[in-house]
Amino acid sequence: MKYLTEYRDASIALPLIERIRKTATRPWTLMEVCGGQTHTIVRQGLDELLDGAVEMIHGPGCPVCVTPLEQIDKALQLAARPGVIFTSFGDMLRVPGSDCDLQQVRARGGQVRIVYSPLDALALAQRNPESEVVFFAVGFETTAPANAMAVWRARELGVTNFSVLVSHVTVPPAIRAIMQSPGNRVQGFLAAGHVCAVMGWSEYEPLAEQYKIPIVVTGFEPLDILEGILMAVQQLEDGRNEVENQYVRSVRREGTPPARARIEDVFELADRKWRGIGEIPMSGLRLREEFAAFDAERKFGLGGITVNEPAECRAGDVLTGRLKPPLCAAFGTRCTPEHPLGALMVSSEGACAAYYHIAKHRGAAPAGVMA
Amino acid sequence: MCLGIPGKVIEIHDEGGLPMGVVDFGGVRRSVCLAYVSHEVGLGDYVIVHVGFAISKVDEIEAQRTFEVLREMSKHDELDWMAELGGMPSSVPTTAAAGDSAS
Repeated sequence: MKYLTEYRDASIALPLIERIRKTATRPWTLMEVCGGQTHTIVRQGLDELLDGAVEMIHGPGCPVCVTPLEQIDKALQLAARPGVIFTSFGDMLRVPGSDCDLQQVRARGGQVRIVYSPLDALALAQRNPESEVVFFAVGFETTAPANAMAVWRARELGVTNFSVLVSHVTVPPAIRAIMQSPGNRVQGFLAAGHVCAVMGWSEYEPLAEQYKIPIVVTGFEPLDILEGILMAVQQLEDGRNEVENQYVRSVRREGTPPARARIEDVFELADRKWRGIGEIPMSGLRLREEFAAFDAERKFGLGGITVNEPAECRAGDVLTGRLKPPLCAAFGTRCTPEHPLGALMVSSEGACAAYYHIAKHRGAAPAGVMA
Repeated sequence: MCLGIPGKVIEIHDEGGLPMGVVDFGGVRRSVCLAYVSHEVGLGDYVIVHVGFAISKVDEIEAQRTFEVLREMSKHDELDWMAELGGMPSSVPTTAAAGDSAS
């Protein structure tokens, strides 16, 4: 497919890896923020090919993984409610809540539907005026324009049986939290290409300056990621700390202004909890007051639910780069994709699941699986 | 989940005031909201699509340029290796960092 397969050319990737190795005069530690990039890095074995030159720490950029347990529990409660059709992107269905997941609620008779786009959820509400349709609005800045538009259109069209359970997070506060966390080892970042396609990169410039780190806006295909790594390593070797753009074909400095404007129209900044990490100040989005009628938490009185994470899941350490998934005591034993302790083992973009699947694929059973 | 797929806009229309279109992803066609890119996108242009919304236009010239830079870089490195292995001397500049042309 155009603009996809050409960036997967192994005959270009291998020399690029060699160039990274030659450029790095010492080992460097980088973090890719986005779960989509983690998936490519682990699946293609880029981390192993760069072993000794660049260590990749897998960041918290997987919305499925960082949606806090209490938001999952609220979703479960809504989905079980008679008269509610609960709609969600497919990858949220298997995320474990405190005692079950959305798939299990559906098996028990809850009306849970997978939608491709939030506009599909809105259309479902129009077709089912006797039901309350709730959409699970999760995601980073990439997804925020779509979710904002669904709410905007609901108001425009006067659809009153549609609401959203919001769990939106944003990347820059997470970079700040990682740089400020004790024992941080990250020396540079690959910023998430599609987040920046929407937002541009001006908000990363103060971060690069304050923490003296290179930040390279990077795409998702293997060649994109390798070029992004090369650019970050070159900056580290030169002692530079700039924001550079590898993903030039899709990202402009100002992002996509109409999408940013619609996010602004509908959402405002708010404190948000991140699963495994805890609360990060002003790290998320919530609906503006004028859209309160579309806020499922208010509509159904869910505000009071708070839940603590299971103690054994060390997702926080993985998300902040202090622990590689295979070194977790529960990895592959008490925590598997079939019976996950935490969300990182659920989504294919979660670091734990990525390691688990690749270990199986390469023929080496993940630790404990054969036991 | 921030998966965005490039596709070609093959139809543009209006749905109750919302700019919509049909985007072709290598043979698979889907209805896509074009509201955020309608000011810069026409038929035949490529867009990045995420959860049913076009979130940015693919710049074809930059796409080609990035790819050429990467391909050239890999050729140069191969020539370097030949030189290192005692073959022909390297006659091409090897200092063109990826970022120079791509940023």
